[in-house]
Amino acid sequence: MKKLNVSKGFLAMVYIVCIFLAALSIMPFLIMVINSTRSTVQIQQQAISLIPSSHLIENFKILTGKAFNPMRGFLNSAIISVGATACTVYFSSLTAHALVVYNWKLRQPFFTFILAVMMVPSQVISIGFYQFMYRIHLTNSFLPLILPAIAAPSTVFFMRQFMLSSLPLEIVESARIDGSREFHTFNRIVLPIMKPAIATQAIFSFVNSWNQLFLPLILLTRQEKYTMPIMVSLLKGDIYKRENGAIYLGLTLTVLPLFIVYFLLSKYIIAGVALGSVKG
Amino acid sequence: MRPKKLSYAKYGYIFSIPFVVAFCMFTLYPVIFTLVIGFTDFKGLGVTDFHFLSEPFKNFQQILSSPSFKTALKNTFVLWGLNFLPQILLALLLAAWFSGTLFKIKGQGFFKVVFYMPNIITAATIAILFSTLFGYPMGPMNSLLQKLGIIDAPYNFFQNKWWAKGVVSFIQFWMWYGYTMIVLISGILGMNTEWFEAAELDGASGWQKFFYITLPNLRTILIYTLVTSLIGGLQMFDIPYLLVSKSGPNNATLTASVFIYNQAFSGSYMYNRASAASMIMFIIICVLSAVVFYLMRDKYEAAAQKELKRAARQRLREEKQKARTGA
Amino acid sequence: MKKILSIALVLVMCVSMFACLGTTALADDNVINLYAFTDEVPGMLQKYIDEHPDFGYTLNTTIIATTDGAYQPALDQALAAGGDDAPDIYCAEAAFVLKYTQGDASGYAAPYEDLGIDVAAEAEAADIAQYNMEVGTNPDGKVVGIAYQATGGGFIYRRSIAKEVFGTDEPAEIAEIIGAGTGSWDKFFEAAETLKEAGVAIISGDGDLWHAVENSSDSGWIVDGKLNIDPKREAFLDLSKQLKDNEYHNDTTDWTEAWYNDMAGIGPKPVFGFFGPAWLINYTMAPNSGGSAVGEGTYGDWAVCESPIGFFWGGTWLLANKDVPEAKKAAVAELIKWVTLDCTEDGLQYHWANGTMVDGVQGTKDVVASSTVMAASDGSVDFLGGQNMFDVFIPANAFADGTNLTQYDETINSYWRDAVRAYTSGELDRDGAIEAFKTNVADNLDIEVEF
Repeated sequence: MKKLNVSKGFLAMVYIVCIFLAALSIMPFLIMVINSTRSTVQIQQQAISLIPSSHLIENFKILTGKAFNPMRGFLNSAIISVGATACTVYFSSLTAHALVVYNWKLRQPFFTFILAVMMVPSQVISIGFYQFMYRIHLTNSFLPLILPAIAAPSTVFFMRQFMLSSLPLEIVESARIDGSREFHTFNRIVLPIMKPAIATQAIFSFVNSWNQLFLPLILLTRQEKYTMPIMVSLLKGDIYKRENGAIYLGLTLTVLPLFIVYFLLSKYIIAGVALGSVKG
Repeated sequence: MRPKKLSYAKYGYIFSIPFVVAFCMFTLYPVIFTLVIGFTDFKGLGVTDFHFLSEPFKNFQQILSSPSFKTALKNTFVLWGLNFLPQILLALLLAAWFSGTLFKIKGQGFFKVVFYMPNIITAATIAILFSTLFGYPMGPMNSLLQKLGIIDAPYNFFQNKWWAKGVVSFIQFWMWYGYTMIVLISGILGMNTEWFEAAELDGASGWQKFFYITLPNLRTILIYTLVTSLIGGLQMFDIPYLLVSKSGPNNATLTASVFIYNQAFSGSYMYNRASAASMIMFIIICVLSAVVFYLMRDKYEAAAQKELKRAARQRLREEKQKARTGA
Repeated sequence: MKKILSIALVLVMCVSMFACLGTTALADDNVINLYAFTDEVPGMLQKYIDEHPDFGYTLNTTIIATTDGAYQPALDQALAAGGDDAPDIYCAEAAFVLKYTQGDASGYAAPYEDLGIDVAAEAEAADIAQYNMEVGTNPDGKVVGIAYQATGGGFIYRRSIAKEVFGTDEPAEIAEIIGAGTGSWDKFFEAAETLKEAGVAIISGDGDLWHAVENSSDSGWIVDGKLNIDPKREAFLDLSKQLKDNEYHNDTTDWTEAWYNDMAGIGPKPVFGFFGPAWLINYTMAPNSGGSAVGEGTYGDWAVCESPIGFFWGGTWLLANKDVPEAKKAAVAELIKWVTLDCTEDGLQYHWANGTMVDGVQGTKDVVASSTVMAASDGSVDFLGGQNMFDVFIPANAFADGTNLTQYDETINSYWRDAVRAYTSGELDRDGAIEAFKTNVADNLDIEVEF
């Protein structure tokens, strides 16, 4: 093994760079978390501190006094994200199943089509989408934020690739011999095999949906319907007095769930990024 | 066997129905609707009826000749250029270090997790966080720079257009280099090890291997990353919108998406002009996507297969190990 | 796995049910939807509800600040979306009230008389200023909105600095020094030079001067559907440049931290004063003065005098949705009447003018719309060292008129301020700044612009 043909100095530099970048990733969030426990006056006197203070509850009171309702936002975001994620993974698996298991005439054209529409971005259709939802009176509903997730081309692509490599068609055949109906076979036999792919895609779909701002911002007008990102986008606007401690706390509350999800599942997320890398 | 298999073909159609229906309703129809609106006089709050214009391309002409839209497109490329170059260079460097052909870095897993972390955090949160960090006059950045003696009076970053652009680019860079790094690492790991072994027999050094084998073979992934990041740049909304009140000093951070939002959802509710702008942006994205699609056509499948198999093997190995230790 | 799947399925169903419920079940007949840009009006209406236990309605409030222009799009979409979630009562500020009373969104506003309010008689009894009613009158000539404040402005300055630099803190004498009522900024800039020699900035940023300039100009941003730059507003470019080049201010932007800091006297240079109406004192300067009693921070170290050019700034108009359900109409009318027209001692305006919103606490005071109420109120506040601010602000109300307001003021102002800032910082030349401003208006609003 020739692994030691690099100098110690070079290796040290590598570590210094890595540690610097790690600090760069962590510092903004660390400042945010610590400042969320400090009072606005303290922050004004010294913007950076590594010692948490004792004004967390005070900040929370100011924050919730400003019509910022973290529980509500959390719940709304959760409903939308869970719904969208469930739709994405279930129906993408189903579509992939159709693409892999059955031999139908339009299969190849359909697949090519899915590849082609993979990059239709949501912003460019927003006007038509908004007008459509406005006309059918769904502007203050979560449905327009959940149902479109049924058609997620890139997830279908990923699921198809996974299925091709890990679903032996013999299993489907033998299920048929046992008299299992096709839909049943998909739900009871194929889906469990897809578990790893579902897990990866679920995480990304969830995070994506959780972080969305553009569509919710134009669709949801009622304060009770606001998602976390909308609430965040309104945090800065307080016309009479700037409460930095409360702003930091608001930001912290919005990312807390993401931090928890991320650090619990980071291994799968990183693996998922690598796995999905060929398609982005 | 054959006729029997054919009889299942209908399920292919049946199981594709939800996707097709949802796609038609929530993507195709809105696209067509948006396109149609682009040719009409549709504007105004709460208005629902519209008429086709006598000069059908008036909105498109107006958008194409509008200095703000040009600024938005130009900004998109400038912001993208500012963040993509450093991002890809750093990601390549880290990928070269982390893919382990030269040496092994301890704590690799930790570093990957931390570098990737900003990518999953809500962009809206990050925008507000950075606008607070760069706050004037008392933000953390100002107090840090003052403590380090780099500046002696607080600096109002977001009043300078290059600072505004710089911070937006930095955030993009900071959020995405970890992702690009992981993508590149997996690209490197997916390469044929025989090439490296052959090169080693020929006495190639680590850096030679990187420049002569790794880099050329990453070409497709690099182009892919480049184009998707450009598309992402066109769509960028949350960060410029929230970081420096809407479009920054003298429209320094106005992007195509913010432009569309301003046209359609604030001020005069000019849905027609916004639709025309959307469609122009859509065409640009289609062209870019076509490039990716063309490049990826064949390599997609092969690369995906290989990667998936490797992952499946590893999983199998892990599971076996788990079973063994568990028993 | 079966379990996981069935749980997932149940979850999907629950979620879609939730989502469906969200569209219908939240509608409640006993809830009044309120849209506001500060907590001021929600607080008032809540007080009314608290004081009248048999009122029978609760509030569902949406508060979105006007900073960064977020309030209007949200309100517009809520009005356009209609249905049970639509706002029943909504607030509009001077910078955009015309859009809701006479402009693009005027179709949503209900005439007060349709709610069962006898506007003409009530307004006469309360003696509401004419401009207030005019701004709130829709194209059909019916009153759809009335503001509860009167917002004539003055110059609010630091007593201690005045004593040190000018040897007096008497409002009358300071008014003389800054050229109050002269209709020109010359003496003001002379005073700025004197203050500069003493190391003091006369104002915090160009925004302070802007509000005085904006609302004293003869014409508004739009005349006959075309963009119009009033000479007085155009001159602001030069005034602002002069301020910046001579370092007469701390170069802050209004409604930012730096601006607030100057109110507490902790900016880079001490700041002599701010331009504003009574509400600026109560809601912005007092909370940001670094104290809440005389002697703390700058609290109590202020006084107010007449401005060189008379102006008014702000004001909140109350509007009701024309689609308010029949059953709620009386309740909505009751609230609106209490806030805008009731001139008794139990009415909102009396509480507001005398700072008795919260029982037992002698809180902040404000100049209100009803002259009847003003005549019966006393405006001495501790924040101004006991000065009766009504002496200055009531005469200043004469400068308030609605003629230079337009429905897009908030948006156009932000483009203008942006352009001015680009000019003063040297990024653009004077013509370039005007051109950039025109471009922004032409590209983002449906207004004709001549280049």
